[in-house]
Amino acid sequence: MIRVEPMPARLRLGGEMADIDVQGLVKRYGDVVAVDGLSFTVEKGEVFGMLGPNGAGKTTTLEIIEGLRTPDAGSVHVLGTDVIAHPQAVKERIGVQLQATALPDFTRVHEAVELFAALYRRARPTAEVMEEFNLEEKADTYTDKLSGGQMQRLSIALALINDPDLVFLDEPTTGLDPQARLNIWTVIEGIRRRGKTVVLTTHYMEEAERLCDRVAVIDRGRIVASDTPPRLIAEHASGTTIEFAKVPGLDVDSLRKVTGVERVIADGRVSITTRSPETVLHALLDPGAPWAARDGEDGEAGGGIQDLMVRHGMLEDVFLRLTGRSLRE
Amino acid sequence: MRAFRALTLNRVRASVRDRIALIFTLGLAVLFMVIFGLLFGGNGLSVTFDAVNNDNTAVASGYLKALGDQSGVTVHSTSHATAFSDLKDDSVTAVLVIPHGFGAAYLGTGPAQKVAVYQAGGETSSTGIADDVVISVTAGFAGRGHPSVSVGAPQAAEVNQVTSMDYMLPSMIAYIILFSGVNYVAIGLVEMRVKQILRRFRATPVRSGTILSAQVVGAGLIVLLQIVVLVAIGVFVFGARNYGNWLLLVPPVVLGTASFVGIGFLITSVTRTSESARALAAMVTFPLMFLSGLFFPISSLPTVVQDIARILPLAWASDALHQVMNDGSGFSAITTDCLVMAAWAVVTIAVASWRFRWD
Repeated sequence: MIRVEPMPARLRLGGEMADIDVQGLVKRYGDVVAVDGLSFTVEKGEVFGMLGPNGAGKTTTLEIIEGLRTPDAGSVHVLGTDVIAHPQAVKERIGVQLQATALPDFTRVHEAVELFAALYRRARPTAEVMEEFNLEEKADTYTDKLSGGQMQRLSIALALINDPDLVFLDEPTTGLDPQARLNIWTVIEGIRRRGKTVVLTTHYMEEAERLCDRVAVIDRGRIVASDTPPRLIAEHASGTTIEFAKVPGLDVDSLRKVTGVERVIADGRVSITTRSPETVLHALLDPGAPWAARDGEDGEAGGGIQDLMVRHGMLEDVFLRLTGRSLRE
Repeated sequence: MRAFRALTLNRVRASVRDRIALIFTLGLAVLFMVIFGLLFGGNGLSVTFDAVNNDNTAVASGYLKALGDQSGVTVHSTSHATAFSDLKDDSVTAVLVIPHGFGAAYLGTGPAQKVAVYQAGGETSSTGIADDVVISVTAGFAGRGHPSVSVGAPQAAEVNQVTSMDYMLPSMIAYIILFSGVNYVAIGLVEMRVKQILRRFRATPVRSGTILSAQVVGAGLIVLLQIVVLVAIGVFVFGARNYGNWLLLVPPVVLGTASFVGIGFLITSVTRTSESARALAAMVTFPLMFLSGLFFPISSLPTVVQDIARILPLAWASDALHQVMNDGSGFSAITTDCLVMAAWAVVTIAVASWRFRWD
């Protein structure tokens, strides 16, 4: 008879460990449960995205993994080390970019790079890092005079100064204009090409779709789904989505009875999932419907369907469907 | 060690570049020096004596020469009548009368004698200083194993020859220690915490103790730097003098800085925002400033207030600095001051490290 010993989750075939292994993570602030039993693993070389709205617990989770906060329950192993017991042990091998990075006042860009290089036993040549991140022109600028995109480039450069195996980026593109965001995406793709494991948080769907190998959708401290972006979409956002502004007189329950409608979510906008969009659209735009536009009457009922949009499933719909709320409030 | 050096350098460099904060602190110290200097009798002391020498021995001449050698002091030997008419005209500060037998008394061959000092009525700062000068010179004279010469009607004044600038310089050193020590640490650290700069450093392999001590030591170095600049301004621009040993300033300055840096550090552990840190720092520094003998002697305060003032570290810092710079005292005179400041530093820094909040 063969007895099978339970194997720790972080052990893979051949004894190789995942770069990050989080099990049953819980963090409370008073009565508020910020992280509510999160479990996930991140494999070596993977770009792993944590996707969720503000306050979902992404940053708290990240900071626990980075050894900056202590959880109330659960285990965290980073590069094979228990970081709750030994928070200092892996810091030489990880690179961290915090949300809203600030650096000391009156510090020039090259001085910030040199300062952080001095904090590690082994660091990359500062000139090389400055060149890689296009910071040479701004070398003598005070860090608080940088634009949002430049500052973000600098803070990612600082996260990579020690040539880490594992990089954490907390909302690397929040608040950036589209041009700067694209620039940061290119930077992150460069990090991925160098074989580093990357964990990033975001509340931009297109960012997660473009950059991440795997995405964990997080809501209220829990993972509601976790998979590759295409599979998440296939599983949770297949079919066509019809969206429009909420209309007075439109009854969500009666909408659900329309032929072909699979799911209705009314959250500011109305979002309908269907596999037969033509039938549904026909019913929606029926001039005899109670919500149809009527001339000459005061708006007690009907204003007509407005701001109509028909599209295929996206990661955005995954969140909407899993939580019943849209990602951006 | 490399990390500690880099962090400390960053802190010092940032503070030096923050011209406005630097100028504000130093400028205020210089301004106080000028205002109180003018208030207490102008820039530099000049005291003029007419001396009526009824002894005419080498000892008496030596005594008058010793008096005249004091900086800012002029002595004219003249007749009794001229001397007192000068005093009436206010053209001299005081008249000294050296009694016959002064030399013999000094040499121990005659009975003890007193030097008489006459001043015009009405108190000015220079008459007080004139008394002090005479008493101190005479004490120095009589102190050489011949207690037979003294000043008539001696006043219970401290022995010092200080001008208002001489007095204000150690006061302003104490002021900088207080103000910068508390503010640079309290506000600096809280701002770094609020802006998540401390958290960012903690995400590196550097130990927490290194991060904090670099900030505290960096702030301490800034205070020392400001003191060097202040002393240079005081000495070279305002002609303030140090009657003691410059090296003796090191223990009170370093320990005083450590104790106020400790108090600033303590403020960071009980405040959340930089606004509340600022408010609390002001609540601590302003009363201390007025309670601790910076602008007027502690002895002029009500007894209850004096008792409180004497517990606070600024009074000890101020006392030690005045002792050294104004009285030329040796280390033995400031040992207690230094021990009290050291105790304050150790306790505040220990409690603050224990209670420190990273976010």
